Amino acid sequence: MKTKCKFLIKQSLNKKINTKSFKIVNVLLCLLLIGLSNMDRIVAFFGGDFANEVTIVVKDDVGVAQSFKTLFEENVKLLQDSKSFKIEEADETLDKEIEEMNLEENREKRIVLHIENDDANYLKVNIISYDENSTVTNQMIISTLNTIKYNMAAVANGITPEILDSLSTPIETKITLTNEEAQNQNGKDVISAIVTLVIIMPCFFLIVYLVQMIGAEVNDEKTSRGMEIIISNVSPKVHFLSKIIAGTSFVLIQSVLIFLYGVIAILIRQALGGNDAIMSLDAVSKAGSLLETVKSSGVIETLLQGLPWIILLLVVSFLAYAILAGVLASVTTSNEDFQQLQTPLMLAIMAGYYLAIIAVGFEGAVFIKVASYIPMLSFMLSPVLFMLGQITIWELAISTLIMIVFTGIIFKYGLRIYKVGILNYSSSNLWKKMFESIKQK
Amino acid sequence: MLKVENVTKYYGDNLAVDNLSFEVQDGEIFGLLGVNGAGKTTTFRMIIGLLNPTSGKITLNGSPINYDVTDSIGFLTEERSLLTKMTVKEQLIYYGTLKGMKEKDILERMDEWLKKFEISEYKDRKIKELSKGNQQKVQFISAVINNPKLLILDEPFSGLDPINVEMFMSAIKVFKEKGSSIIFSSHRMEHVELFCEKLVILVKGKSVLKGELKKIKKDYRKKNIHIKGDVDEEILKKIEGVVSVEKNAEEYIVKIESDDYIDDVFDKIKKSKHITKFSVEDPTLNEIFLSKVGEAYEN
Repeated sequence: MKTKCKFLIKQSLNKKINTKSFKIVNVLLCLLLIGLSNMDRIVAFFGGDFANEVTIVVKDDVGVAQSFKTLFEENVKLLQDSKSFKIEEADETLDKEIEEMNLEENREKRIVLHIENDDANYLKVNIISYDENSTVTNQMIISTLNTIKYNMAAVANGITPEILDSLSTPIETKITLTNEEAQNQNGKDVISAIVTLVIIMPCFFLIVYLVQMIGAEVNDEKTSRGMEIIISNVSPKVHFLSKIIAGTSFVLIQSVLIFLYGVIAILIRQALGGNDAIMSLDAVSKAGSLLETVKSSGVIETLLQGLPWIILLLVVSFLAYAILAGVLASVTTSNEDFQQLQTPLMLAIMAGYYLAIIAVGFEGAVFIKVASYIPMLSFMLSPVLFMLGQITIWELAISTLIMIVFTGIIFKYGLRIYKVGILNYSSSNLWKKMFESIKQK
Repeated sequence: MLKVENVTKYYGDNLAVDNLSFEVQDGEIFGLLGVNGAGKTTTFRMIIGLLNPTSGKITLNGSPINYDVTDSIGFLTEERSLLTKMTVKEQLIYYGTLKGMKEKDILERMDEWLKKFEISEYKDRKIKELSKGNQQKVQFISAVINNPKLLILDEPFSGLDPINVEMFMSAIKVFKEKGSSIIFSSHRMEHVELFCEKLVILVKGKSVLKGELKKIKKDYRKKNIHIKGDVDEEILKKIEGVVSVEKNAEEYIVKIESDDYIDDVFDKIKKSKHITKFSVEDPTLNEIFLSKVGEAYEN
């Protein structure tokens, strides 16, 4: 019987893996992940203006252009503006510089600054641009010129350059927060984003796929009456086990493949120069800082600490969903019936998915914490709450153990329904038959 | 030897099979007959072990039917039980392996059978692409690929043309000669009559007629007299004991209530002219079947 069970598992797995669709989907998945993680390069490859650089042409009647350049660049660094600026002294007359600025190709990229003497206030400036500048850009220009004006006033009043330097050096600032949760907020946002991408989304799709796949397979054998031949040669228990093991194995293989594609995508990105190649793109600089935040937030350490329990919980949950899908498919007489009957299962998956997504915004919510112990929901909620630091590793372990016990129970009673259901071809008194079969040993 | 002893099966409150008993010896072909819903498929399912009898016992060579003996049973279901997305080869390997066979042996026997049924070219075709008749052939091969000791055939000739029926019959006879016990059902009584030695007729799960076909026919008192010649049909109808008179292209068929009336009929027609045939024949199985089923429903 073991040989037959192995054969059924192999056969069922082969049917899923040795198909064109599986191969095509996996090639597409791999390409998609590589593409997504290198999206900036792909965008850059097809060309376009990514410089986002604005040239400020300074028509200086006063002789402060060099100071303006130095101070402005410091301001830009301080404000971490996504735009980059280039400061140039005007070579031509003001009119010609304005004329050049008005050219179509320069309209968004050029600002002309006319700095003039002012007897009463040292300086006056005309900021000339084709379209309205951003408030931040105007503020930076005005702030820089105010500093120059302040310096001019200071020099005029006998303050030495050394004192002036000290005055203009930015104050050394350190920000200390006593609220630890506030300190970790940035890290938590990052963790939430990562957990959603790495755990919740793939799990959601894989579970939905698992349920559909097992349902379709059992229904296919049942509706073709091939089930009678199969069950006359192997026990329903062996058949049921083979379906669950093959389905779960397939989902685990697919998970590992998706993980590998992710690793390949990261390696390709690294091989192409990591995050440094196109730093002018805002998204890339954010991605770079994301990786830094991930490293500094301790998410990797947390993940490694809880990984054995998380993997166990996921595997057991996959088994549980496979068992329920098999049982539901066994009692239905067509694929259409199965689609209807699986709705509660889909709702459970959706509930787990949404609770996991909103968990980060409801820190400390009793409802979500309690839900993380509920079988069928826990596989998405518990890992998320653990990663967010809302539950301890012990609580994660308890959720896993509850899930294991629950899976054992549904296997025991599910098998009783399965034994009766797979050879039942009538939809009349369906629920009665199901409940009666649970009582049969 | 297959032995079915006092088997009863209830589905809830519905009685599907009522105290059924019969034996199928090695090398014997046994017919399980009945109208739709008579309990044939339920009986087959109990024999193969898919259903447990409510009471009674089923044994194969003295052992109860369980997964230790099912490898030596072949089962052809009434409805198509093929996984139509598979190719013929995949399907036969699948069912053969479930019968405990090694792939090498399956492939050898598969080639023999495909050749015998003249469908070798379909080996790598998907089953859903085959005609109904060819699907039935594949289904038959999947039932016999393990050289079963007990072969259960539920409506084996369904969807087959006369040539293929003949092909199936000769294949079944080969298994009989090899000593396999064969039990089958069919709605086509002429098929049953051709090669069935023993039978049971079920009505509402109950056996209404059982035994050797020859003996059943012999013991069945109603007879048919075939007469060829210039006979007055009205005179025939008036003879006592005559149930009916039918006329086909060449002859009259006079159905009589029992063989006691043969002489009366002969006396009446012997004066007629050009009598070239007067033959007393046993009724067909179809007539016996209809009569027995009708009587059971009347009761």
